[in-house]
Amino acid sequence: MGALRLHPARIAGLSPRAVSHAWSVFDIQLALYALALVIIGLLMAFTNSGDAPLETGSVFTRALMWMAIAIIVFTLAAAFDYRWSSTFSWLIYLVNIGLLVLTLVIGSGVGGVSRWVSIGPLQLQFSEMAKVFMALVLAAWVAGRPAKVESLSTIIGAVLLTAPPLALVLIQPDLGTSLVLGAILVGTLFMAGASIRWLVAGGVLVVALIPLVWTYVLQDYQKQRLISFLDPAADPSGSGFQLLQSQIAVSSGGVFGRGLTNGTTGAEYLPVQTTDFVFARVGEELGFLGGILVLVLFTLLLWRVLVIGWRCRDPFGLAFAGGVAGMLLFQLMVNAGMVLGVMPITGIPLPFITHGGASLISTALALGLLESIAMRQGRAGG
Amino acid sequence: MSVNDDRPLLDPGASAVSPRQLWRRFILFGFAVVLVVTGLGLRLFQLQVTDAERYTALAVQRRQRTVSLPVTRGLIFDRRGRQLVENVPEFVVRITPGAIPFTLRDAVAERLGELLEIRPVEIHRTLDSVTGSTFDPITLKTDIPERVARIIAEEHLGLPGVTVEVTSRRKYPYGPLVSHVLGWTGRVSAEEMDRHEGEGYLPEDTIGKAGVELTFERELRGTYGVDEVQRDATGRVMNVLRTLEEPRAGDSIQLTIDLKLQREAQRALQWGMRLARLQRGVFLVMNPQNGEILAMVSLPAYDNNEFARGISSARYRRLARDPHRPLINLAISEQLPPGSTYKLVTGIGALQDRKITPRTRLRTKRFITVAGTKMFDWHLTGWGPINIYGGFAHSSDTFFYQVALKLGIDRLAYWAHEFGFGRKTGVDLPNETVGTVPTHAWKRQLFSQNIYPGETAQAGIGQGFDMVTPLQLISAYGALANGGTLYRPQIVRRIVDEKGKTVRSIKPEVARKLPIDSSLLRVMRVAARNVLVVRHTYNFVDVPLVISGKSGTAEYGVRDSKGRLPFHSWFVGWVPKDPKRKAGDPNGFKAAGGTDSELVFLAFAYDSRTRGNAATEIAKYFLQLHYGIQRDYRNPELMIKDNFYGQ
Repeated sequence: MGALRLHPARIAGLSPRAVSHAWSVFDIQLALYALALVIIGLLMAFTNSGDAPLETGSVFTRALMWMAIAIIVFTLAAAFDYRWSSTFSWLIYLVNIGLLVLTLVIGSGVGGVSRWVSIGPLQLQFSEMAKVFMALVLAAWVAGRPAKVESLSTIIGAVLLTAPPLALVLIQPDLGTSLVLGAILVGTLFMAGASIRWLVAGGVLVVALIPLVWTYVLQDYQKQRLISFLDPAADPSGSGFQLLQSQIAVSSGGVFGRGLTNGTTGAEYLPVQTTDFVFARVGEELGFLGGILVLVLFTLLLWRVLVIGWRCRDPFGLAFAGGVAGMLLFQLMVNAGMVLGVMPITGIPLPFITHGGASLISTALALGLLESIAMRQGRAGG
Repeated sequence: MSVNDDRPLLDPGASAVSPRQLWRRFILFGFAVVLVVTGLGLRLFQLQVTDAERYTALAVQRRQRTVSLPVTRGLIFDRRGRQLVENVPEFVVRITPGAIPFTLRDAVAERLGELLEIRPVEIHRTLDSVTGSTFDPITLKTDIPERVARIIAEEHLGLPGVTVEVTSRRKYPYGPLVSHVLGWTGRVSAEEMDRHEGEGYLPEDTIGKAGVELTFERELRGTYGVDEVQRDATGRVMNVLRTLEEPRAGDSIQLTIDLKLQREAQRALQWGMRLARLQRGVFLVMNPQNGEILAMVSLPAYDNNEFARGISSARYRRLARDPHRPLINLAISEQLPPGSTYKLVTGIGALQDRKITPRTRLRTKRFITVAGTKMFDWHLTGWGPINIYGGFAHSSDTFFYQVALKLGIDRLAYWAHEFGFGRKTGVDLPNETVGTVPTHAWKRQLFSQNIYPGETAQAGIGQGFDMVTPLQLISAYGALANGGTLYRPQIVRRIVDEKGKTVRSIKPEVARKLPIDSSLLRVMRVAARNVLVVRHTYNFVDVPLVISGKSGTAEYGVRDSKGRLPFHSWFVGWVPKDPKRKAGDPNGFKAAGGTDSELVFLAFAYDSRTRGNAATEIAKYFLQLHYGIQRDYRNPELMIKDNFYGQ
């Protein structure tokens, strides 16, 4: 592939007829499932806002604002012809690297920690954007090599493309997001049809490298969290505290939950309820049924993502859908798994539901682009 | 390739992957999704439906905990009831690493760093280096200005896990004046935690680190109460369920030190040190009737308030590396050659062992020859044949060489041990050292050979291998002054509770009754008075008090270019209960022979190299100050650096 191949430039695509045609094939299911998840996130924001959820600046009002922005981003991304992103994939790649370098250089926090770039009141977390950008870039890479997609060179190329941003995120340090980038890489390659044999070999290699990573890459606090995951009861009021507390919180919800806002606002169980552990709050207030609802919605959403990729009959679209699905599935698995005590604490947000704009906007962008793919598939795959 | 709307974008011919293969991938991926979601759903079912009761029980259990209730530390008073330490409130910023959301860590570290003027990296490092529970708060900074404390308290929403607490810290109003006696308190170390296991110390607790703050830690600390409490998930205490142990405030201690004497001793020592440009010195005052230390000054000293406030590591390193060692209490922790003051041991040992009698005359001269080596007197000619009164008074080296050789090294060591040399005095202060009393066995163990006769002679005048602490020396002279009872020196008189009621009196403790005829002790007391009377100590005898004592010049180290050795100066002496000179006792021999003294004193000037004996002048000034003598008998010209030596 190359930046100079400007194939999908179509003035006709902007004609009223074409636009209305495109919106008629808009994948309404994808949007509905996503919306349902966002609403559950909003409910959680409401219940976490304490006594005055409607006051300016509360968790809830900020979540409302971010939802509005996310809807705009989603709509714009859907209207945008995704094929341009393939055309400009190198540019996107360089911008992505640039933003991550910028985060390290001027990011907030001194020495060792810099995850945000503050512009006025906004804190921009470019590593969240990096996920979507990498899904685009990797999809463009594999789609550009249709004849060689099964060869080892495709995998090596994709790994080499992923390595710089992954390293930049890792040294922020943000282990969670760098793992998500790895999941996007695997999802993209898998759906694009890369060799399973080489993928497995790569996986074995990564596992073999874990001791090295443990010794030279991981920070002490990250090691501590991994250790506490392996045996949370060893020191229940220490590192394992949060792990066990979140399980207790979930458990207290029972089948039907304690009811919205009836959760333990005095932080009876969970010291950190508003951030990455929000799924514990879902379990506590909405019970087993609420938790299952979230899982079902994620399943349906992932189904739609894969279906869009499959139906679009474009190797780029298929690969991109694979990347996005990999991203969402991995984040769900790690975040919910962490809350339920079956995964280590890594600080990965739960898409749609964890409060905080960066994660929601990047997810909206990814889904918007998928809509764009769905809308431009024509009827060929229908 | 032309582009149009209906172009099938997926061209199977161009791809190496068949649609069939892709379909399999699609199904496999879907399968993975179902697998993950099913797994999570089953875990959810387990937590919320099948195991719910077990977790509920766990939650209740985890929310109960015992907490310690710190109590106020006891105070310290001098013997007249002057308060030497205060407990002052202090704002402390503490941080609970586990209560800070990971995503907020950077923001918290940055804001807190700004407020406390710490680099945020340091805060991250502190958070990451927690070894215990992450839900135990750790102290980030002590002694916070109230203004900053207020800001932090107001911003608590933006600073999760950060709390401001009011604790109490020590304030020592007299600072360096009594710092070597009082010591200081600091944060308990991991090693101390281990040593005091089971005594209820908290990870961030304060503990005595030096001086009586250390030796009387148990009494001063009191007993922390223990409550069983219910707490929320952040570890905040919600209510007290029951009290397991009642708190009991620390007891206060009353020292034997008299702040007035301490001041006089400090003033005299500082005067001498300034004039003679000395870097180290000691002044001790003791009551020989019971071993109570009335003043203990060791210079240079440090300001223990610096430690109580939390000393910076750079400042601490500077103090610890200072060549004059301000952190060391020279009175008990430094071993020094005693010089001529040690002739007390040699003389009395020989008298009691009947090697000489008070009338035995020995010929003193320029030098005597011991095993082929010339051993010189400090005096160029000697005084001819003299007895113990003259030998001690003139501090004749050749006299005491001969006495020491008659006695032999092991008998000399026996008498030294009787006077408490070569063993700890047992004073209630930490880090006491024992010094050295040479014997054949001692030297064999170290050098695989016996003591040479020349070394025995040297040991007889307090040179060579002899090493003592100032406190050992003053205790020995105290035993001489009181008629033969060696007391354990003590610095604490009694322990009182909050209401001032005596919990425990610390009685004088007899270390040993000297097996010496009282008449012989009297001989040495009169000889010590004779030291002044023969004007060996210049005009000291003119001071209108009956002072007895012994000066000492102790050479050490290596010779300079002119073959001279640097030396320390000593003076150790006492006055009778009624120190005034009586008309019927013009030379004071009668008064000096008595055993009613209540004041024995010691001055030590490290590396003095002055024309005269600097310690004698310092002691003289102390007595002038203490007894309010208006006329000034001091000889500033003797304090000039001149490398005088001898005696």
